Amino acid sequence: MSGRGRSERSALFYTLAGVALRVGILGAGFAGAMHARSALGLDDVRVVAVAAVPLDQAAALAKECGARVATAEQICTADDVDLVVVATPTHLHAEYATMAARAGKHVFCEKPIARTREQAEEMVRACDAAGVTLAVGHVVRYFPEYQRAKQLLDDGTLGRPAIATLVRGNFSVGSAREWYLDDAKSGGVVLDLMLHDLDTVRWWFGEPSRVYARRFTGGGGLEYALATIRYDDRPIVQVEASWAEHAGFRTGFELRGDRGMLVHDSRDASPLTVQSPAGPAGPAMMATPTLAESPYRRQLRDLFARIRRGERPRVDGHEGLRSLALGLAVIESADRGSVIAWKAPA
Amino acid sequence: MSRRLRVGLVSFAHVHAPALASTLRGLEHVEFTGIHDDDPARGRVAAKEHAARWHETLDGLLAASEAVVIASTNFDRRRYTEAAAAKGVHVLSEKPLATTVVDGRAMIDACRRAGVQLGVAFPVRSSPAVIALREAIAGGVLGRIRAVRATNPGQYPGSWFGDKRLAGGGAVMDHTVHAADVIRWLVSDEFVRVQAELGAFIYGLEVEDCGILSCDLAGGAFASIDCSWSRPQTFPTWGGVTLHVVGDKGTVDVDVFRQALTHYDDTTGRARLVGWGDDLTVRMIGEFVDAILAGSPVPIDGEEGLRALEVAIAAYRSADTKRPVAITDLRV
Repeated sequence: MSGRGRSERSALFYTLAGVALRVGILGAGFAGAMHARSALGLDDVRVVAVAAVPLDQAAALAKECGARVATAEQICTADDVDLVVVATPTHLHAEYATMAARAGKHVFCEKPIARTREQAEEMVRACDAAGVTLAVGHVVRYFPEYQRAKQLLDDGTLGRPAIATLVRGNFSVGSAREWYLDDAKSGGVVLDLMLHDLDTVRWWFGEPSRVYARRFTGGGGLEYALATIRYDDRPIVQVEASWAEHAGFRTGFELRGDRGMLVHDSRDASPLTVQSPAGPAGPAMMATPTLAESPYRRQLRDLFARIRRGERPRVDGHEGLRSLALGLAVIESADRGSVIAWKAPA
Repeated sequence: MSRRLRVGLVSFAHVHAPALASTLRGLEHVEFTGIHDDDPARGRVAAKEHAARWHETLDGLLAASEAVVIASTNFDRRRYTEAAAAKGVHVLSEKPLATTVVDGRAMIDACRRAGVQLGVAFPVRSSPAVIALREAIAGGVLGRIRAVRATNPGQYPGSWFGDKRLAGGGAVMDHTVHAADVIRWLVSDEFVRVQAELGAFIYGLEVEDCGILSCDLAGGAFASIDCSWSRPQTFPTWGGVTLHVVGDKGTVDVDVFRQALTHYDDTTGRARLVGWGDDLTVRMIGEFVDAILAGSPVPIDGEEGLRALEVAIAAYRSADTKRPVAITDLRV
């Protein structure tokens, strides 16, 4: 396959030349900044350009990275960019990912891979045709608590999985980023938050057989969804996603196998808690890292190493497409009020 | 109130029976008239343990009582309720009310005809935290309630709870009704539609031990109920009841049994939770007894018990058909 050959040449190039991987960042919001800062800490990686709309919103992040400000179109076609990080609003992923791929750039795309299945399929086709890597940022696969659970499932410690619940909540992000409130752009809480857990469910248990979901959108960014994911035999999985978690971001899961149960709650998992005499609204007094290397940086480290070795990314475009399709099935079920039979895209 | 209500306990089959007996013995407004059980060996031991009178016959206990608490198997509840009603004795039924809608309806009719009251044991409604939440919702503090995620997971209770005939089902029959009742009560609304995924995955039973229900309420809110017997034997307590309530103006988490000490016990080699919150059984029976003594309606009547039972029955039908089921379809 031509894609494979191209990828192997890339690996040879980076290894022999000892040249840094040059990264362009599209988007200076939460995800763009997170990926840029994560890339900065890695050896043999340089962030060379940052784009945002409007362009001046990229200035601060570009300066922090020692990079130039450029438009997304310029970055996607620049000679000195090897990989493009697509961290734009979701509905724009496909346009820029395909543009970058056609210019021979590898693509790392924030999740969800795209807003629609057709967009995602177009991205996969474009990257395959260009022989470049397409990776999707399902970062939960790099969170050690979820990895450890996967390990205890796979090695049989928990027995056969019977029932699981995964929850994920945040305050309404729409207050900070307006495009999240437009379902046609973001896909709402299901494609933003629940997609993490839908991807995790597929990663842990494989492909389910049917889906049932309820959701509401409350105006002002309030949104909440519950889905039940059923496997042919077992397990039964419940997934909750909330933009009504006003106290802030949290995740949790319960995983019951026929030999035991795992419980995780992010609210009980911080080794460091800081209080200020100014109270909860006071200024942050110190950073509160909880891991030596963040899952976001682990994700990029792994991706760049795989690209250098000519290997497929852990979550490639096909895999990102399958998780997106499951999210779209959840939305369809909630809209129609009926059980949706699930068949994963190839 | 100086008068004491004469209350008996019918059957020691239910896992809640020991707590019910201790409560009846301890309540100030109750004269505990004793215990009858179809299983005389079990009944005699229980009577002795709780310093209660043993009644060889059901009629003997009913003759001595103004009200009875029925802690039988789910299947036997109808038979005992009809017998009590026939003797003019009020009934507090363990939950679920019955194993079928037909039986539940028959119990309600029998008590109405006899002019006695039929109450159903839903102690979660007696939780001060749940009461505070209901008042907040009624006062509009949370805005319109849009969704509730309820869980009532537990350890597998064993014995007849895994017997399809005597229990009427498994975890769904055992645990759905607590959550269904408290959701109805909190949002003052009725369930209209139920979808469920069930499985017998953990204990090799003929009945389900895992279940997730997704429900719609008439006013447009939705709710889910996790009724699973998912708590391992090593779990530090029997299980729990939690509610995650999402309103337009606020989100509330309730963990009904959160008030507990953690006891690391070297003699058993494990950790246990030791609850120190209000005794909900004491509050629930106290409220039932006070209503009977005052001649006022009991706090949770048979109709309400039947509403909760319908949710469980609908879950079984949904699991069979792999479709959402309308509650009204159960009534025709």
